[in-house]
Amino acid sequence: MTPSTTSPTRRPEAVLLSAAALLVAALAVASLLVGKYPLTVSGIFQDEMQRQVFLTLRLPRALTGVCGGFALGVCGFVYQTVFRNPLASPDIIGVSSGASAGAAAGILFLSGAAEITLAAFGGALAAVLLALGLSALDRRGQSGTIVLAGIAVHALAQTVLMALKLTADPERELASIEYWIMGSLNGVKASALPVNLAICALCVAALFALHRQVLLLSAEEGEARMLGVNVTALRLLVLLAATLAVAAVVSLTGLVSFVGLLAPHAARLVCKGSRLPTLVLSGLCGSALLCAADILARSVAATELPVSIFTSLLGAPFLVFLLVREGRRT
Amino acid sequence: MKQLQVSHLTAGYHGREVVHDLSFTLPAGQVLGVLGANGSGKTTLIKAICGILPHKGQCTLDGRVLERLRPKALARLCGYIPQRSGLSIELSALDVVLMGFNPHLGLLQPPTPAMRRAASAMLERVGLPGRDRESYLTLSEGQKQLCLLARALAGGAELLFLDEPESALDLRARHRTLHLLRQFTAQGDRAVLLSLHDPNLALNFCDALLLVEEGRGAGLVHPGTDSDETLTAALSRIYGPVCLRRCTDDNGQSHLVMLKEEDVPCSP
Repeated sequence: MTPSTTSPTRRPEAVLLSAAALLVAALAVASLLVGKYPLTVSGIFQDEMQRQVFLTLRLPRALTGVCGGFALGVCGFVYQTVFRNPLASPDIIGVSSGASAGAAAGILFLSGAAEITLAAFGGALAAVLLALGLSALDRRGQSGTIVLAGIAVHALAQTVLMALKLTADPERELASIEYWIMGSLNGVKASALPVNLAICALCVAALFALHRQVLLLSAEEGEARMLGVNVTALRLLVLLAATLAVAAVVSLTGLVSFVGLLAPHAARLVCKGSRLPTLVLSGLCGSALLCAADILARSVAATELPVSIFTSLLGAPFLVFLLVREGRRT
Repeated sequence: MKQLQVSHLTAGYHGREVVHDLSFTLPAGQVLGVLGANGSGKTTLIKAICGILPHKGQCTLDGRVLERLRPKALARLCGYIPQRSGLSIELSALDVVLMGFNPHLGLLQPPTPAMRRAASAMLERVGLPGRDRESYLTLSEGQKQLCLLARALAGGAELLFLDEPESALDLRARHRTLHLLRQFTAQGDRAVLLSLHDPNLALNFCDALLLVEEGRGAGLVHPGTDSDETLTAALSRIYGPVCLRRCTDDNGQSHLVMLKEEDVPCSP
């Protein structure tokens, strides 16, 4: 819902959103310039090597950090609202495990980064469709059914992943699978970017358009129905859009923990309520978190580290803070 | 609307029947209270009529079968206030009231400025003036209930279903709520069906009372027209021995008071 009138709370919201957007912009610029091969603004225009690094490595990476993080933040907000569970995240309906199994299959049976991305996306999509299909078997259409279906799909995908790992060559393929699962923006290729980002943009735009309906889904099913909501159909539509966006991101980056869980909490902490500005801020917090983690991943050690190490390092203390805060409230 | 007709309604949970073959009619302009002991099926009855629970039997509103209506069409006709809302995310009181306009909006359409003004006015009318921006979650249980009442009234439905709306309200808010519901039906083209715990409140505010015992209809009485003997006999069926007394307040208005016989001995 949008604010009713011009109000004193509008200005702080605008200030917060502007500050968050500036932070994301600064991190995106840093992401373009920081790395093993140092780039300068003048060098990008004058030096062919620098231009190549910028166009083929840094720009796709920075775009993935900003757009992927934004999508994960927005989708986390949607999952937490629809499932009425503050700990809900994209993993809840098995999308991440599906993507892992797909990527592992890609590493074993296909060649090339783009093919692996495609296989990860296929795995994530298959997991989503399977979870939604299983939940449709329960005609009551309860949100708990989707969670149970997600747990079943997660278990199935983990089994497939373990089977694939067993058949993998321990020296080369197994290491690749493990590295992919730990998540990194290192392997993002410019060729795979347009399709994935287009899917992401389309799904996130749909979620913004459906924002008012997402809030209605936060009521209990009977209550939402009596507010004129076709709960089963709308929930499916919203979850499909959110999960497709997540699938498009994780198939590029591998598993990235905590961003979808933490970004909405951080947004709600500073921007009270669940209106549109909070949704935008969730996205911006996601962008900032992923970009910051990616910059750290390529800066703090001689070799590049998995991005999830840093999202977890930043995320776990924040989760503890939220728990303590909730404990003090009650 | 002219009337709600409930015919042979049977409903329950997980194959266990809680309401058995209940039939009644609610004419326009009336407030019908459902009275019964805990677990007698009051909530189940309301949820079944709203279509939230699967059921046998049929509910028709002026010939329109409620079971066949799509959620949006149903919500335009009927508003519902649960005992407690499941809303668990941060939303302002105004945003909660604005949800009541959803049946009149397209999928992607935001509420109009007129709707926002109406929602704000409705919050004031139910006794929450100036609380528009307050978080719904930080309101007291009673204030939440009033906020949900504002949402239901804002929706413009012809028929309201309320599940024990008085349970979390203090005396003043209780009376305000029931006066608002009486105003809602005053023009004669709308009606209210509500379950109540407090028989004294029900006797003085409802046009008719549907008495429910173990999921079965135990009588339909009209406190305004039925004799005290008829009312006493009917209420005794669900509460055990009771007696009724009429008291007059300082304004000269007569009130019915039900007393439980074991607690207060009644002698002529």
